[in-house]
Amino acid sequence: MAGNPRDKYCIVGVGETEYSRASGRTTRAMGAEAIRNAMNDAGLSPDQVDGMLSYHGGDSTPSTSIQYDLGIRPNFYMDCSGGGSSTEALVGLAIGAIEAGMCDVVAIFRSMNGYSNIRIGGTGARASAPIGGMDLMKRPYGLISAVQQFSYTFTRHMAEYGVKSEDLAAIKVAHSNHASNNPKALMKHRVTVDDVMNSRWIIRPVAHLLDCCLETDNATCVIVTSADRARDLKHKPIYIKGVQGRGTKPGGDFHYQHGPITRVAGHYVGPRVFDLAGVKHEDVDITGCYDAFTYTVMLQFEDYGWCKKGEGKDYVTSGIINLGGKRPNNLSGGHLCEGYTHGMNMVIENVRQLRGTVDDYCPGAAEGDHTYDYSEGGCRQVQDAKISMNMGWGTPAVGSSLIMGNVLS
Amino acid sequence: MPNYNYRGITLSVPDNDSEYKGYFDAAGEGRLVVKKCVDCGLLRGEPGPGCPWCTSINWEWQQVSGKGTIYSYQVVAHTVIPSFRDLTPFAIVLVELDEQRGHPDEHDGLRITGNLVDANFDMEKEENVGIGKRVEVAFQPVEEGFMLPQWRLIDEPDQGFTWSHEAPQG
Repeated sequence: MAGNPRDKYCIVGVGETEYSRASGRTTRAMGAEAIRNAMNDAGLSPDQVDGMLSYHGGDSTPSTSIQYDLGIRPNFYMDCSGGGSSTEALVGLAIGAIEAGMCDVVAIFRSMNGYSNIRIGGTGARASAPIGGMDLMKRPYGLISAVQQFSYTFTRHMAEYGVKSEDLAAIKVAHSNHASNNPKALMKHRVTVDDVMNSRWIIRPVAHLLDCCLETDNATCVIVTSADRARDLKHKPIYIKGVQGRGTKPGGDFHYQHGPITRVAGHYVGPRVFDLAGVKHEDVDITGCYDAFTYTVMLQFEDYGWCKKGEGKDYVTSGIINLGGKRPNNLSGGHLCEGYTHGMNMVIENVRQLRGTVDDYCPGAAEGDHTYDYSEGGCRQVQDAKISMNMGWGTPAVGSSLIMGNVLS
Repeated sequence: MPNYNYRGITLSVPDNDSEYKGYFDAAGEGRLVVKKCVDCGLLRGEPGPGCPWCTSINWEWQQVSGKGTIYSYQVVAHTVIPSFRDLTPFAIVLVELDEQRGHPDEHDGLRITGNLVDANFDMEKEENVGIGKRVEVAFQPVEEGFMLPQWRLIDEPDQGFTWSHEAPQG
């Protein structure tokens, strides 16, 4: 791989709006607020931001509108069609744009009224909209929502490896414990395995209601610039060690024609990002593993090599992924509990974790003064976290990954 | 006529749909077809324009036996499509056709989605769905000239890997 940019670029600002189910405003208004919050977090003025990147599914506002609202004049912008796993990939594209001399500081944003306006599953009127093309092979059979689109993969996985619903529930339990120490989280209460098992079925055998993420209204932003430029900004720079994606399985949208069907994109993305970052699994202190559903977490843990194929059920029930465990996952509560952001909040959380200034309930959190008491309503800062890894999920066939650190290699 | 109505959903199959029109034209005549590469001879489960193995863009439709095995499935307990609500719980199956199983790679197969239905095209009972069960295509009439390929259990022994979840009681 030519031109490894390890440690040459940083995330210097993060920001978001409230996570809610009734924003009462436009994606433009939310996008402007999230970018403004990230600029303030970084200590950047609008004239110092000259790049904008966003991703959307026809449900957002373009950069060229929001630039007006904040007085930004981009030398580079691009609004990409995207979804899960776009966050990590756009961090890589921001590096590329800066490296190419197209701009110096890039604000990456995602804005969506994902509950009150356009919902991912295509519910309501959109479910009855005329369809054509590849949807003809699925929609007439009632196959439409994301949990369904991915479920052939996981039904087969449960069958081949003996996974139980209780194993999946352990993921929700861990993330809910983390969310209970996150004032921003949409669902803050801790849940039990029984709570998950007793919630109503959505798709058998793969998902109860509490195995599914929370559709959310929100906007989010991360700001990328060079390590040189980062030096005189507000926070300790969080270095980008390696980024990969969106990489795919053979067959892409039609991956289920090939096999093994239980394999996901992380199988291809993982070795490349570890190689670029120059780190090994045991070097990673915290993970952000895309939790559209509990099963997307288990599939990715296996194919990124945190455990052997088929042993994801043991990994997620071992305590490793819990706060206080060896390598906690989705410390903000992730999509399952904090809110669904198409991947952005898991990168934002890891930036804050690596800074040591996570916004938990500790009185001195902003100054990095944490109690490390992980009981409900307390601390969620991991002590001395140095390396994080994000694993973005688009579909079983599509994924991205980002490894960050708070010290130079 | 390129538009058909099924359960309140408009299915649009225009004349220039080079992927799916031939598939549904054949289904309308009660034939299940897949695309065959004219150059290397391999069949493909997704009727795309190019051959995933040799890149040839020369293809022809080939009728298949319409028999296969359930490779994976999902049972919809909650649907977001209002016109499907009265059907729940219902099974959606990924059927692996008998043709070209395990070729050219051991994990490859021709896999097609449909509902598991009974003799009357009502949804099959949940406890009867399972990986490894043998099925045969059944064409469900929708409108004049348009039929939807569905799948019915047949009286043959399960094949290969078998598994089923525990369906809730009642």
